[in-house]
Amino acid sequence: MSVYLYAVIGVRPASPCGNGVCAEPLRLVVSGDLVAVVGDLPDTPELTAMTLRAQDGVLRRLAAAVDAVLPARFGTLLADDAAVAAALAQRRGPLAQALGRVAGCEQMTVRVWGDGVATATAAESATSGGPGTRYLAQRRQAHEQAQRVPELEPLRRRLGDLVRAERVERHDRPPLLATVQHLVARGTGGRYVAVVDDARDALRPWRVSVTGPWLPYAFGEDAA
Amino acid sequence: MKTPARAAAREILDSADDSLLDLVDNLLNKGVVVSGEVLLGLAGIDLIYLRLTALLCAADRVSQSREPS
Repeated sequence: MSVYLYAVIGVRPASPCGNGVCAEPLRLVVSGDLVAVVGDLPDTPELTAMTLRAQDGVLRRLAAAVDAVLPARFGTLLADDAAVAAALAQRRGPLAQALGRVAGCEQMTVRVWGDGVATATAAESATSGGPGTRYLAQRRQAHEQAQRVPELEPLRRRLGDLVRAERVERHDRPPLLATVQHLVARGTGGRYVAVVDDARDALRPWRVSVTGPWLPYAFGEDAA
Repeated sequence: MKTPARAAAREILDSADDSLLDLVDNLLNKGVVVSGEVLLGLAGIDLIYLRLTALLCAADRVSQSREPS
């Protein structure tokens, strides 16, 4: 029997967590001020539409009971409780920081669609320095470009402080240009969708689709 | 007996259900990864990663055609 990790939370839930994906009872593994929500399974659950939905359901139930939930990636199986505790201990700082970030928050996902790519904003190419400097400057510019979605600027202005944090993923596969995740306060997802709908005209020629609210899946890793 | 990974991936990807595609993206692509003795025993994952953006694109085309003009 191995230990299947569902989520990391910061406080013990007041009530029992119920059952997991395979109807196994959930239990807690505590390591310092971090708490892992786990189930005992012989193997990772089969990867099916049903198990994906079930795992999301388990996590949503958990989120209803505690303020901050960091979902684990599907299929995270560890040998035993000691391995879980060690894994938490190893990343204590980043996990605690991420828990603080997602407390009281949910995730909205916006996808940007279009037939081309927005013109790069004032791409200043380094003309000074040696070839090495210029090469590194180009590399940095390419990297920064991959983190940006200028197409969404009109939306960002409208969303204002509704957005607490952002994660960006650019795709090289038109018409899908980018996926952007926004961390918003719980309960503001409806307002968020209304703002996106209002911004559709201003965003043309780009189209956007919005889904959520989700658990803060994209905000567990420490970035920025 | 485990469902062959390829069949499982097909089942998920052929559903053309937007919310399921988001679940795939969130649960398989995101989420906390704890280092150490993690065993990822899911052979179908690579296949799903590969086809995810393609499927998302397809989903967009479907929902576009549903929109009233």
